[in-house]
Amino acid sequence: MRLLASLALQNLGRRKARSLLLIAAVAVASGVVFTGATLMRSIDRSMAVGFTRLGADMMVVPEGALTNITAALLTVEPTDLVLDQDLFARAAITSVNRAAPQKIARVEHSGIGSHHDSVDLIGFEPALDFTVQPWLVEKLNRDLRPGDVILGAGRTAPLGSELLIFGKAHTVYGRLGKTGVGTHERGVFMSFATLEALAGSVHGPNGPPAALQQGKVSGFLVELAPGATPLQARFAILSTVKGVRVVTGDSTMSGIRQGLAALLDGILALMVLMFASTALMVSVLFSAIVTERRGELGLLKAVGARRGQIVGMMVIEAMIATGAGGALGVVLGILVMRLYERSLVYYLETIGVPFVWLDGPHMVAVAMLAVVMASIIGALGSLYPAWRASRRDPYDLVRGEG
Amino acid sequence: MLSCRALRKDYVTERGPVAAVAGVDLDVAAGRYAAIIGRSGSGKSSLMAMIGGLSRPSAGQVLVEGTDIWSLSDNALSAFRNRRIGYVFQFASLLPTLRLIDNVALPGMLGRTGATKPLYARAAALLGQMGLGDHLDAYPGEVSAGEQRRAVIARALINEPALILADEPTSDLDEQTEIEIMDELLAVNCERGTTLILVTHNLALAEQAEQIVHIAHGTIVA
Repeated sequence: MRLLASLALQNLGRRKARSLLLIAAVAVASGVVFTGATLMRSIDRSMAVGFTRLGADMMVVPEGALTNITAALLTVEPTDLVLDQDLFARAAITSVNRAAPQKIARVEHSGIGSHHDSVDLIGFEPALDFTVQPWLVEKLNRDLRPGDVILGAGRTAPLGSELLIFGKAHTVYGRLGKTGVGTHERGVFMSFATLEALAGSVHGPNGPPAALQQGKVSGFLVELAPGATPLQARFAILSTVKGVRVVTGDSTMSGIRQGLAALLDGILALMVLMFASTALMVSVLFSAIVTERRGELGLLKAVGARRGQIVGMMVIEAMIATGAGGALGVVLGILVMRLYERSLVYYLETIGVPFVWLDGPHMVAVAMLAVVMASIIGALGSLYPAWRASRRDPYDLVRGEG
Repeated sequence: MLSCRALRKDYVTERGPVAAVAGVDLDVAAGRYAAIIGRSGSGKSSLMAMIGGLSRPSAGQVLVEGTDIWSLSDNALSAFRNRRIGYVFQFASLLPTLRLIDNVALPGMLGRTGATKPLYARAAALLGQMGLGDHLDAYPGEVSAGEQRRAVIARALINEPALILADEPTSDLDEQTEIEIMDELLAVNCERGTTLILVTHNLALAEQAEQIVHIAHGTIVA
């Protein structure tokens, strides 16, 4: 094995220019794959954050309820009309991925702000929510508990401080970032349990708002299942559930979300093709190398080298070259990403678009995978020419045939 | 020592099959020096390749020390070639990236595992016997064609084979070097008792042989 590795290294050293070109070609391919895979995973993570912040694809509210469809975020307007909380659980609509129920009650004399200010109390179910919590920009270092409230960006109070709502003490658990949507900016968010506990204290002209009743909600924010169109979901909801209105937001966002997912799949396919074409290139190159070195291979066979040793020597040679190319590609990829970080990512962050880099251990894993894949490609690319040569009679190889 | 029966080698060409060796029976006793002579294209190199386990016959049998070498598996045949047969080819057959001593030790390293020190000591001794004691660390490109050929003879001897096959080993050398190389080969045959089969078209070289096999058109004619 040591002898074969030594011969392989010496063979690489004989044709330095060719070996360097092979290493450079593999470096470019594995650099693209490493950078692409890292950026893809980072974009995927950023999408997970960014798109959840973009909120729901559509909203289901009671027929006759007011909605805000002009803003980027779909929000339910305070209303006395309500729906059953388990509406979607019962309906089981396949084109709907998630449905987050919300309760909204616009109240006055709550004790928040000045005496005559109205306040939107917004209840959400933490386990089902995907539109409120992604906006949390600061929070206490623990899970949300009953009695906790989250303030919209337009309200100020220190985290952990006490906030009296209708005389009941609540703890400021967190604060949302700026959404640009009035309801969110002025809202006070809390879990259903916390909001329902206020039902006895809220006094409106017609008694407590209907949304505060247990088992009732103001509406649902809906995220479409992957591949489902808003039209399909709207039809499915309306044909299954009665007495509701389906409000579709800016369909561009759904399109972008689904389009980006398809684009990432496309990039993945391109990376696979790139590695495959590199394997073919290595194979063609090693076919030429084997042809050039037939005499030596024949000689090695003549003096006792077994088929496995001939194949092993050629494969080790290829793996050393492509592995080195893979490692160089990772270094190049890191340099490219540093540039990317200082330009585009910096710009995105200045305009408030989050970019979440792949964490260190995962990036190391991707780098190692790129090097291993490059080596495997070398092995695969050289295997067939080496195997074919190893099967020839030594005399044919020595004479330059085969 | 060597016994060939109905040995045949056919090549497929654009004009149809051609018999390079057409049913050869040959026996060479142990320790002998035999010369296979014939004109270019007579089939002598093809015959030697089949005898040496380098080219699979189309038909027939080759027994070396009683072993039917072409009935062995590929790995077993490789091992047999490695231990029992030494080759001296008609071209410079050293690996250019290895020093002379590495080239000589190579068959020993391919065939065995374990310490390399005794192997390298033997390689150095063999190179010394061939007058190359001062060139152990030289690369093939740094020595003359005659010195390279001597190194090839040393490599052929490293595993102490029973049979040395030399295919026109001096065809590209000047007359003086040719004599020196032949002297080395004959010394191996005489002093070590190693069977030597020489393929040549040089009748003068063949005259020294104990057995001369004249081949023409793929068959033995004398």
